[in-house]
Amino acid sequence: MTHFSIMMLLPMTVGLPLLAAIVSVIINSHRWRTSISTMFATIQTLIVILLLLAIPDADGLYRYTLGGWGAPLGIDLVVDGLSLILLLTTTVLVLVLNLYSIWYFSDVATSTRFWPLWWLLVAGLNAAFIAADAFNIYVALEMIGLAAVALVALTGTRTALVAALRYALVGLLGSLCYLLGVVLLYRAYGTLDLAQLATQTQASPLTGSALCLISVGLVLKTALFPLHFWLPPAHANAPAPVSAALSALVVKASFYLLMRFWLDVLNPTVTGITANFLGVLGAAAILWGSFAAFRTQRLKLLIAYSTVAQLGYLFMLFPLALTGSSPTPLSNAAVTAVTYFIIAHALAKAAMFLAAGNILASCGHDKIDKLQGLVCYQPLALLTFALAGVSLIGLPPSGGFIAKWLLLNAAIENGQWWWVVVMLGGGLLAAAYIGRVINIAFSQASTEKSTGPMKTVPERHSLQVNLAMPGLALAMLAILLGFNAQWILNLLEGSIELHLANAGGVQ
Amino acid sequence: MFLKLEFQEHKLSSAGLSSATRYLLGILITVLSAALAFVIIRSEKAAPDLATLATNKLNLSGVENPVTAVLLNFRSYDTLLEIAVLLIVAVSILPDRLPIPAATAKIQFLSNMHPHSVNPVLVGLLKWLIPLAIVMGGYLLWTGAYTPGGAFQAGAVVAGAGVALSLAGHHRFIWQTASVRISLSLGLLMFVMVAAANAIITGTTLQYPTPYAGSFILIIEVAATVSIAATLLLLFTQLKAMVEFTMKGNNQ
Repeated sequence: MTHFSIMMLLPMTVGLPLLAAIVSVIINSHRWRTSISTMFATIQTLIVILLLLAIPDADGLYRYTLGGWGAPLGIDLVVDGLSLILLLTTTVLVLVLNLYSIWYFSDVATSTRFWPLWWLLVAGLNAAFIAADAFNIYVALEMIGLAAVALVALTGTRTALVAALRYALVGLLGSLCYLLGVVLLYRAYGTLDLAQLATQTQASPLTGSALCLISVGLVLKTALFPLHFWLPPAHANAPAPVSAALSALVVKASFYLLMRFWLDVLNPTVTGITANFLGVLGAAAILWGSFAAFRTQRLKLLIAYSTVAQLGYLFMLFPLALTGSSPTPLSNAAVTAVTYFIIAHALAKAAMFLAAGNILASCGHDKIDKLQGLVCYQPLALLTFALAGVSLIGLPPSGGFIAKWLLLNAAIENGQWWWVVVMLGGGLLAAAYIGRVINIAFSQASTEKSTGPMKTVPERHSLQVNLAMPGLALAMLAILLGFNAQWILNLLEGSIELHLANAGGVQ
Repeated sequence: MFLKLEFQEHKLSSAGLSSATRYLLGILITVLSAALAFVIIRSEKAAPDLATLATNKLNLSGVENPVTAVLLNFRSYDTLLEIAVLLIVAVSILPDRLPIPAATAKIQFLSNMHPHSVNPVLVGLLKWLIPLAIVMGGYLLWTGAYTPGGAFQAGAVVAGAGVALSLAGHHRFIWQTASVRISLSLGLLMFVMVAAANAIITGTTLQYPTPYAGSFILIIEVAATVSIAATLLLLFTQLKAMVEFTMKGNNQ
């Protein structure tokens, strides 16, 4: 009986956000909508924690057969250590961003749209993380893509709409490329289930084309350099909690799927050259993203370009995990390092976008050059920005430090020292662009009147604190992640064993 | 929200690319497509086909139309998420302002505009056409269990009735009512409810108890028809409003 109840939790990770979305469409009261959303976010957190506790009993793998049909005909759901960690990251961020959004979206017209779209986005993310079926992933990607586009367009300003439209077209192109790849896979192997595909795949021109199409689609959605062009405007012009979710979660979902396909499902097709090619693009992303972040004039654009750079680190996974001295592609430290990086970046980047949102709201602009004296009137936002920055740069004892340390270790173990140079250079560049903001924020405000806060808001002081706290909490988490590394590493160990069990069928 | 975008005459055809770049892109795309076509023609289709598997299990699905069986039984989870995609679209384009001052009238979904002139032939036609379209929608919904048809087709026909009503110009749809919000989300709500009910009855989400599979599928399809029709009609009226808005802007 207990087994039954725990099994049910897996489909509930999608069902619950959907229910939250429906309720927030039907209910027409701002107060009720926000309270019910908070309730749903809390329940969702409990569900993921229960799943987390249940997984070790199930040998690190949980499979749920929807409709009772079984894999080739029906659709399965699957969760392992890796997807659980991403589910946990999502649910924690959703809970915190939920609280922030309650205070951020006080405008009724915007909030009517925001809450349903927000929960539909969360449902899509969770669906992608527990998907075990190639076509089901396509539907989840469509959900994520459309909800994200609608959320970017939420402010309704011209720049936001243009960015959203471009984002929509890019997302559509990516989805269609992915779908075409899936069609080819179905032709070749007659199944859509990822585990069944993984046992059957052989290197052939058809499978190779499928891998190409799927990778182009997912890379476009992950915004790897030079396909990152849509990301900075979309992430910089969205409302603060949406920017946070986009940078922290949405791009990670497509990266997670890319990981699944390259390391597991279509692994026999992957060659050392293609893996290194992704690595080179990742290295270029680190350098170009950091450089663009250093040069940009707007704070939110800086953070968005920083996302482009940080996504580059994730792509170090492919050369480190798939080439070099590692005996099996999935047993090495690169997978652990990159997963750790995903969590650390998600927390730090979400915190940073929330801080930028507060700065934008109180100053009325986010031009970096005009942020002198920011420390006097937005100390909490600046503290959040700085703490998140510490993690992004990779200074000890933050989560970002551990992530980079693991990644550097993996590179050195594999004897691929050239990636080390790029990663260390990227850290220095990150220090430069974050230091630039902090330097200006601490500098004395000039005599010009334009530098101070646009509106003095003493009566809204409590609101200011409410808005500052969620970001600060996330930044603190990003730092604390560095102290609790072992717990996450243990969880990932289980996941890697699972990968090996799956890959065992190939050899 | 996309309606606020002012559509001006953009030279979208060239997209800011020089003609040489466009030719190069064209050649590149042609070569890639040709290579892909070559690979596909050379490849062999996998022997165990899911279509035969689905046909074999058709008698367990509760319906006789294999497409409906796949959409609403074997792979119902995909359809559930697709209905959620429809809700995303509906929420994104839902207008946020009332077209009339709220105090002037009781807000109902369908309100008469009391036009100056009424065309009696048009009214007579609509009195026949709209009930006919709704009955036709019901027929398509019911027949989906046996032959091609189902919620999407039925929803499209019912939405067509609404489009005819909207084009006649005698009525106006007000989208800010509770009934609209319920209709738009009804399909997804029913689907999630059925999934939860199945979890309690059979122990597995979306697993219908075999003798009642057809009934559960019909419940989902009826609710989905309402939502699909409402979403399509919403799309049409919003596009119409956008065109009218743009024309008004051009005339001034």
